[in-house]
Amino acid sequence: MNWLRIMSPKPVAPEKGWDKDFQRMRRQRILILGVLPIILACVGFIAVFIGTTGPIGPGDPVRISWGEALDALLHRHGNWPADYHAIFWSVRIPRVLLAGLTGAALACAGTAMQAVFRNPMADPYIVGVSSGASLGAVVAGLSSLATVAVIGSIITPLLAFVSALATVFVVYWLGTVRGRVYVDTLLLSGVAVAAFLGAIVSFLIYFARQEYHRIIFWLLGSLSLATWTAVGVMAFCVVIGVVCIFLYSRDLNALLLGEETAHNLGTDPEFLKTLMLVMAAVMTSAAVAFTGVIGFVGLIIPHMVRLIVGADHRILVPAATVTGAIFLIIADSLARTVIAPNELPVGIITALCGGPFFLYLLRRSRTRGEPA
Amino acid sequence: MKVGVNELSFSFGKKTVLNNISFEVGEGEFLGLMGPNGSGKTTLLRCLMNYLNPKSGEILVDYRPLSDLSAVEVAKTFAVVPQSSATDFTFSAYDIVMMGRIPHMESRLAGAGRDDSLAVRTAMERTNTWQFAGRQFSALSGGERQRVIIARALAQQPKALLLDEPTVYLDISGQIEIMDLVRKLNTETGMTVIAVLHDVNLAARYCDRIALLNNGMLETIGKPSEVITPENVQSVYGVDVVIRKDPFTDAVYVLPSLHGAPVHVHGTRVHVLSGGGTGGPVMKALHDWGFSISTGVLNVLDTDFESAKDLRIPIVPEIPFAQISDDSHSRNLKMIDESEAVVVTRFPVGPGNLRNLEAAIHAIALKKRVFLLAPPEEKDYDFVGGRAKSLVERLLGSGAVQVRYIEDLQSALKGVGKR
Repeated sequence: MNWLRIMSPKPVAPEKGWDKDFQRMRRQRILILGVLPIILACVGFIAVFIGTTGPIGPGDPVRISWGEALDALLHRHGNWPADYHAIFWSVRIPRVLLAGLTGAALACAGTAMQAVFRNPMADPYIVGVSSGASLGAVVAGLSSLATVAVIGSIITPLLAFVSALATVFVVYWLGTVRGRVYVDTLLLSGVAVAAFLGAIVSFLIYFARQEYHRIIFWLLGSLSLATWTAVGVMAFCVVIGVVCIFLYSRDLNALLLGEETAHNLGTDPEFLKTLMLVMAAVMTSAAVAFTGVIGFVGLIIPHMVRLIVGADHRILVPAATVTGAIFLIIADSLARTVIAPNELPVGIITALCGGPFFLYLLRRSRTRGEPA
Repeated sequence: MKVGVNELSFSFGKKTVLNNISFEVGEGEFLGLMGPNGSGKTTLLRCLMNYLNPKSGEILVDYRPLSDLSAVEVAKTFAVVPQSSATDFTFSAYDIVMMGRIPHMESRLAGAGRDDSLAVRTAMERTNTWQFAGRQFSALSGGERQRVIIARALAQQPKALLLDEPTVYLDISGQIEIMDLVRKLNTETGMTVIAVLHDVNLAARYCDRIALLNNGMLETIGKPSEVITPENVQSVYGVDVVIRKDPFTDAVYVLPSLHGAPVHVHGTRVHVLSGGGTGGPVMKALHDWGFSISTGVLNVLDTDFESAKDLRIPIVPEIPFAQISDDSHSRNLKMIDESEAVVVTRFPVGPGNLRNLEAAIHAIALKKRVFLLAPPEEKDYDFVGGRAKSLVERLLGSGAVQVRYIEDLQSALKGVGKR
């Protein structure tokens, strides 16, 4: 065994700058990572000012200047409507924060799921999170518990969260044989369990016509119930989930080459799959509990970002997370303005904007002959 | 690096997949694992890479139990090349090879250091993949992709390479390309190679030794020429084969056996006079049509002698390169007398086998039907100064029928057996 001979097929050292292309590619990707948070900050800042009251918004009587709006935000003296400060701090800011956190959670979970299932068509709901959460939310909505003040606002997300996690646990258990997670079994179990729970949800909705509107609104996804509590819980889940998934991004890369190869590279694919499922499930369950089922973000954001930065998860995970946040903040801003003073469920916006844009990217990459 | 497998058993639930397997692989050896589907080859390979835990027995790596090694140590010992590494995700070839450095990186967020980029570059040059380092992995051809995967395995700087049917999805040029590369790495660096191989001929050509598995048990292990025998292939794969030797390398190769049972045996006896490789196709066709055949006189080592032996038909043999002796000639005439028809191919005629043509003349005298195959093109077959030509003319003049193609023989021979 002579490593020297492997290590130096030619006695000469490689010419200077032989890896400059790879260094340049690396710098480009790092640049994207630097730019995205700045965009997020700008988008978030502007989104706070969008609404029926404020400097930007659909035609509405209460129109004030940027300076006045800033004064109101910072509670300085000035010529702004009396309740405007409260609108910022108890409605707009938590809502924008929740939108950002939810988008980040869904995009990050989607990225992890696509790697675990080695399938770019996987999304965060693939293991039954959405159907589980829906069942919990519908049950909460139908029980008298939801009508009790104080508890009512907590009980729906809590039940949704618990039943989403329980569903993931059942699907995970179904997809695991003798300590080994079989992703194809997991996928099919997820589909079957989701169909089963979906039927129960439909059944319940069918017999609860008076609640129909509220439940449908929740099922389509909306950020209108944003509170600081929700923001706090989401932030907690997102920070843990994203950090955890990011720390294992190199292992996710290896997993894309197959479990056998991942194992051979010294990583532990069984532990990785379980950890990723748990983290994705916690983030997605929390997101669904507070905002309902917002579709498409978890599927297209990772996919779209991958088309731009490549499949290396050390860049993809943070880039997709931040892009998800940006995307959902913009989508929510549209949701609350396009038919003002009424509001659209944000899930409709994400699908309406995301679908065509995604198709555009897909076609472009296909016609260039690159794999999606 | 030496690898020892010691009474290894493995089972999936109640199904025993590997049963008490023991063998050793020496430093720098190229070992092929062979066996029919489901014989446990891939499972054995997965036990070696510590992906599956054996039920009993142990694997020793340089006399250390594999189970004592950490995941990273195993990764630095064995590098695996799986059957196929298709991925739907966009990685460049360089990215893929860089993944081989994962076991060498200290922290999980560390970027590639100088050692890493150099190891990647070296591995890619060794496998001739450096020129497309920047291209999308999924846009490469099957052979190129497999070379990138081998580069990734090399970047791991392992002590042994484990390959799981590395050529199974490749066309013949890709197969040879990959096997040549692996063999080259094996001889030039002294890296031990253990490869599951499907193709008997590739295995025989490239491996130092072959381990033949059957139903989870080690049937036999040894040099290709010792392992690949008609008996072993029959008992493990259940097919009849013919083993030949490559004249240039002495490597054995396997052909499907010629003597598959004919559709319908009617037993009409036909004697074939041939030589120099002209008789094989005729004998095979007659055999398939259900005739019972005899042939003579053929020198031992003549291609037609080998064909007749594979078809297991009675032959009048002659010593290699010797003239047809009186004894052989009379035995040949006796066989002609026992048959109902004689087929004469256009074999090259020299002083040694001229008597085969004389035997054909004799057949006419015995009132046998004689069929003479037309030569495919005007090729000189006469190496006895016109004597062969005149014998052929005499044959045709005295009632022998000339047949253009072998296929025409079937209809020409139709009436013969009925008499």
